[in-house]
Amino acid sequence: MSQSLKPYLTAVRSSLTAAICLEDFSSQLVERHNRPEIEVDNSHNPELILNPMVIARNENEKVLIEPSINSVRVSIKIKQADEIEQILVHQFARFLTSRAENFFILRRVPIKGYDISFLVTNFHTEQMLKDKLVDFIIEFMEEVDKEISEMKLFLNARARVIAEAYLTPFD
Amino acid sequence: MLQIESSNLLLEKTIRECLSTEIESLKGIQRTFTDFDFTTYQVSNSTAKHLVVVSIYVKCWSDLVNYGVEEYLEAKYAKFNKVLQKIETEAGYDFSFVLDLSVAQKEDVEFKEELVSELANLKRNSIAAPFEKAFSRYDELAETYANSNVYSEEVKQELENESILTINYRGLDESIYIKPSFDRVTVIFSTIFKDETDKIFGRVFLQEFVDARRRTVQTAPQVLYSHIEPPLDIRNVIQGRADDNKGYVTFVLFPRHLVKGDRRQNCISHIQFFRNYFHYHIKCAKAYMHSRMRFRVKEFLKVLNRAKPENVDDEGKLIENRKTASGRRFEVGRG
Repeated sequence: MSQSLKPYLTAVRSSLTAAICLEDFSSQLVERHNRPEIEVDNSHNPELILNPMVIARNENEKVLIEPSINSVRVSIKIKQADEIEQILVHQFARFLTSRAENFFILRRVPIKGYDISFLVTNFHTEQMLKDKLVDFIIEFMEEVDKEISEMKLFLNARARVIAEAYLTPFD
Repeated sequence: MLQIESSNLLLEKTIRECLSTEIESLKGIQRTFTDFDFTTYQVSNSTAKHLVVVSIYVKCWSDLVNYGVEEYLEAKYAKFNKVLQKIETEAGYDFSFVLDLSVAQKEDVEFKEELVSELANLKRNSIAAPFEKAFSRYDELAETYANSNVYSEEVKQELENESILTINYRGLDESIYIKPSFDRVTVIFSTIFKDETDKIFGRVFLQEFVDARRRTVQTAPQVLYSHIEPPLDIRNVIQGRADDNKGYVTFVLFPRHLVKGDRRQNCISHIQFFRNYFHYHIKCAKAYMHSRMRFRVKEFLKVLNRAKPENVDDEGKLIENRKTASGRRFEVGRG
């Protein structure tokens, strides 16, 4: 793990652990509704929303944590150095979001400016262990970078083999 | 499967089958199959059992005719004269041969094999016509300018005006341009990328094509790549609209690739399959990425499921009927 990655992940981990401190909370506006308050337009009751927080490793890699009384939204921007990485990240995010129902906490549409978003509600923390949820998000962040750079390397290696295989028989 | 075969396997099998089956036991054949670049073949014996008609449709036939494809094919298949004749073209196709099995079956094995392989290469041979024409033009030019100062203005001008052979092998948007000169033949492919991913993968691949020559295969043709902007040589003959997804790949074939005989033939078969090879491998890379992502997603799911308390298995399903060591069940709701 590189030098700057560790403090970044540590910061995200402790912030998430602090943010995922949720309780059941019924809507104050609509009777018998219970909804993630972070997803609702909360101009009427701003007291339910806590201060959002951005943790950035650099301008291309950052995490936005938006806590509220009964839900936390975590959005991740994955490193994209060039257009190959851009397309790979895009494909990967699309691949994940189309399987969102298996991922419980994955949001189908990422927040603008980010590549992938998670929405953790109090119902998730009731069914699942909070520490492990945080573990998952941290591991996700680690693995995604690794996966993207491996795919890129693979693509280049493959292209090289293909080009050589095509050009050699000319002679 | 790194390379794409230039012959058509189905056509090859069908012809071989015809040649090895007794004419009496031969059933009626009516087979239509397709090949790259919208090519269609038809093999049938509707008139008489021993007369098998082989027809081919090629999308760019009208271009090929300009470059003498019919004469070329006739010459190419002339050695099979006694069994294979050109006949009136079937409707919907561009070129037809009739194969007389009653004669062909009496020939020796070697002859049959050659016949089968040449017929299976029918598409390759059709597209080869303009290449042959361009290469023989190169021979002429090389002879003409062998002793003259090729750097003089007049000669340069003349070479500049050398006509360009165009094959719109997939409609107007994707074409092959061939320009002969005295010391090289330039072959330019224009190709369309279907989506953004193809475009970027394609660019990575082409960059390697460009670099490969510098690195390992020094004797390979020179490859150049340009995006959207057509190369100077063909700017005047471009048809079809300008497009963001269009790319131009230039191959510069040097005299060492154009040595008459096997090497020239090999070069023709190889270069005309460039587009197919290239796009095939883009698709392969995409498929691999897909399976890789599928695997990675599965791994992520496993990690997430660890967050659930113990009564779920690896796939996130609830495990019912847990038992104690002695085999008793946990049962809820009984006194």
